[in-house]
Amino acid sequence: MSMTRLALQNFKASARNYLSLVISLAFTILIFFNFQCVIDSDAFDVLGEKSRQNMDISIQAITVVLICFMAFFIWYSTNVFLTRRKREIGIYVFMGLTNQKIGQLYMMETSLIGLSALALGLGLGMMTSQLFQMILVRLSDLAVEIRFHINPGPVLRVTAIYLSVYFVFVIKGYVNIVRSSVLELVSAGRKNEFVRQPTGLLTVKAVLGAGILSAGYYLALKEGGMEVMNNVLAAVVLVIIGVYLLFGGMIPLLVQGMARQKYFLYRKERTLWVNNIIFRMKRNYRTYAMVTVLMLCSVTALAMGFAMKNRYTEIEHFRATWQYQVLGLKDGLDGDLHGIIEEDNEIVCSSEIPLLVFGENMVETVYTYSSYGALSWSAVRDLAGEAGLEFTIPEPGDDEVVNVTQLPLMSLSTEKSGITVTIDGRDYRQTEETSVPYLGVLQEHISFYMVNDRVYESMRSLGSEAYLYNYRIADPDTFAAGADKLKGLREARPDLYQGCTFANPTVSDMEWIKVLYSICIFMFMVFVLASGSILFMRLYNDAFEDRARYRGLYKIGVDRRVLRRAVAHELLFTYAGPFLVMAVSSWFSVHALGKVMSTDLLIVNIISVLVILVFYVGCYFISLPFYRKNAGIE
Amino acid sequence: MNESKVLEIRNLTKDYGSKGFSTTVLKGIDLSVCRGDFIAIMGPSGSGKTTLLNILSTIDRPTMGSVILDGKEITQIRNRELSKLRRDKIGFVFQDYNLLDTMTLQDNIALPLALNGVSGKECMERSGELARQFGLADHLKKYPYQLSGGQKQRGAACRALVTEPEIVFADEPTGALDSRSSRDLLECLKGVNDSGQATILMVTHDAYSASYAKDVYILNDGLIQCRISRGRDRKEFYDRIIDMQASLGGDFS
Repeated sequence: MSMTRLALQNFKASARNYLSLVISLAFTILIFFNFQCVIDSDAFDVLGEKSRQNMDISIQAITVVLICFMAFFIWYSTNVFLTRRKREIGIYVFMGLTNQKIGQLYMMETSLIGLSALALGLGLGMMTSQLFQMILVRLSDLAVEIRFHINPGPVLRVTAIYLSVYFVFVIKGYVNIVRSSVLELVSAGRKNEFVRQPTGLLTVKAVLGAGILSAGYYLALKEGGMEVMNNVLAAVVLVIIGVYLLFGGMIPLLVQGMARQKYFLYRKERTLWVNNIIFRMKRNYRTYAMVTVLMLCSVTALAMGFAMKNRYTEIEHFRATWQYQVLGLKDGLDGDLHGIIEEDNEIVCSSEIPLLVFGENMVETVYTYSSYGALSWSAVRDLAGEAGLEFTIPEPGDDEVVNVTQLPLMSLSTEKSGITVTIDGRDYRQTEETSVPYLGVLQEHISFYMVNDRVYESMRSLGSEAYLYNYRIADPDTFAAGADKLKGLREARPDLYQGCTFANPTVSDMEWIKVLYSICIFMFMVFVLASGSILFMRLYNDAFEDRARYRGLYKIGVDRRVLRRAVAHELLFTYAGPFLVMAVSSWFSVHALGKVMSTDLLIVNIISVLVILVFYVGCYFISLPFYRKNAGIE
Repeated sequence: MNESKVLEIRNLTKDYGSKGFSTTVLKGIDLSVCRGDFIAIMGPSGSGKTTLLNILSTIDRPTMGSVILDGKEITQIRNRELSKLRRDKIGFVFQDYNLLDTMTLQDNIALPLALNGVSGKECMERSGELARQFGLADHLKKYPYQLSGGQKQRGAACRALVTEPEIVFADEPTGALDSRSSRDLLECLKGVNDSGQATILMVTHDAYSASYAKDVYILNDGLIQCRISRGRDRKEFYDRIIDMQASLGGDFS
């Protein structure tokens, strides 16, 4: 029989066994493909060029995460395949096959699995891509009609990326087999030595894990300046490593410790399930860690979506404060401006405020803006009163400033006070930062420092003084007419008007955030589903191993009800362990995200953890009968 | 010897297959086992040894006849009670040990006690004491994969005895062992039987193993053909068993 035929025959014979692997790989391909289709789809062009660009960048970033996720999945499934096949292919050694030949056989079989997964994933992906985009558009509240259309681009990209990652791992497996000794291959089937791990090694891992995890949590909570982003990134890496070491060290150490306490262990079926957990721990800890990290990603993705949505609403609100802003060179121009605007629109609210604009290099601070200005405290207070905006800032001291700035989508710094600002060689301490839109969109272009009236007076000589006239209109539809007239006025009288700023209420360059929000919700569901399915598959496969054990126990008179209870406990641990670690870690990750996004995300955190809890309880109850059936105790 | 009956089998019959195509494997067996007995049942392949043991250990049900264990008719009781009966009254030793590879030898031995709700302290004491008797005291913390076949089988015997059952059924306990390990195991079983700790019913095809019993019943063609009792000398007993095998003919493996 030729090698190809043998490989084909093996693949057919074991197709049912590897169905779960094929399906899980196909699932990742499906998700990956759907995202690629969004990039190529013209449905989102409605967002406008800038929004579309931003959305594509976000999707590219998600693609990178998905590729990592896919690589991990491929690594995981090829590893499972290699371990299982090693036991069987050991037999070929007796038929006189060389390691190279056995390796080739492995490569052929694994390739067949990979290609079937690719075909299945792409097939399902093509069928669901339209549905995916429709859901995305609906969640994003966009009015677009989605057409069914398959571009060759996503198919080729997904195939190329998937196959290159896949074959790296296949070749790795081949090398592993070629380098294995004959004894290793033959005895792989009988290897049963992952029962109890050396306590010393576990202790080292546990201590290291606890340290790394704590460091990760600490960095996530640490306040800071520009280094916050680095801290958050470091926290992510540390928490992932920490979670691995927790499942690889701390938890086995604890469970092994429990098993050593015989008075504790010998309590009804506890001896069965505690020992079973120890037995499985060494092999399964990576799975538990991966599931925890996946859930953590899902909660963070969801929190990210909500934070983005919150910020989007706030920014829209920020921009809606003033539609027209005119910078005049003297005061008392309000009457003229009022007249011009009211030709086309009704003014709901208006205000006027003097301000100083500093020249280049006048201001030195850690955060660089394109321009800086100054405002007097009492003028801002009066404006807030006129415009009905919140104002709770106490009057700054002579060496203090309050930063009046924009509302960013996310902030790289969480430090809002204690910063030193140098204006014309004199140091001021920034006591506070506010993003109440007193000066509307102008705050997005110029960073203002609010000082007390005395200091403001003293600063007048440092910059050029101007007067800002702000107007909020009643009807957004007639916005354009007023804007055109004001632009005309500015051009006609440069001696009176320095510039105009408009916030068009009908057009937004932030629409992409709504799409990102729906993508985040989608990612949450995908990750949660993936994590639950991984645990389910793991248990589904593990149950077969227990069949012989439980048959033996049944023969010696162990009641099936006892075995059912033992299984229930074991499964509970499998689901509860990763869930609890995730629940604790998610608080830190979401808290860190909340800081960067300047939003309180605790409620989102709690709700997402509860959603996962409900899903996991469901998975647990679905797994129970499957496990019992596969283990032969039903 | 205490003559109280632990197990009584009357007219035990077992048919396999459906009407018109049935085969009778056991054709009316009568047998009594008293407390302190060590009985070996021998017979050629297909003689019905395994069927008999399966019925006695409540895994299978007879077509006709009765099995009374500790005064209870076990062929009539419900499944749930059967589990309890197996757990409390019977100990099992299998050819393939059936030790759980997930736990240490001590946990394996203590398992039936722990499942019965016996306190941790007593589990420790009783498993430790039996392990000492069976020469396993130094191996309690080891896992089955770290033990030899003989050690595993002695561990399985400890597990069968730890609940102090009315009777221990041993199904070819030396089937997978070398002669040295077989002898160690049989000596241990004989020891616990002599000290009155256990009543044993063993199914074997091996005359050497059977010679450790007090009585050997030869099963052939679904019926007990004869009973040989041991005298003082085990070697002489062994010779008699071999002679009987030869006279009956058939494949005793």
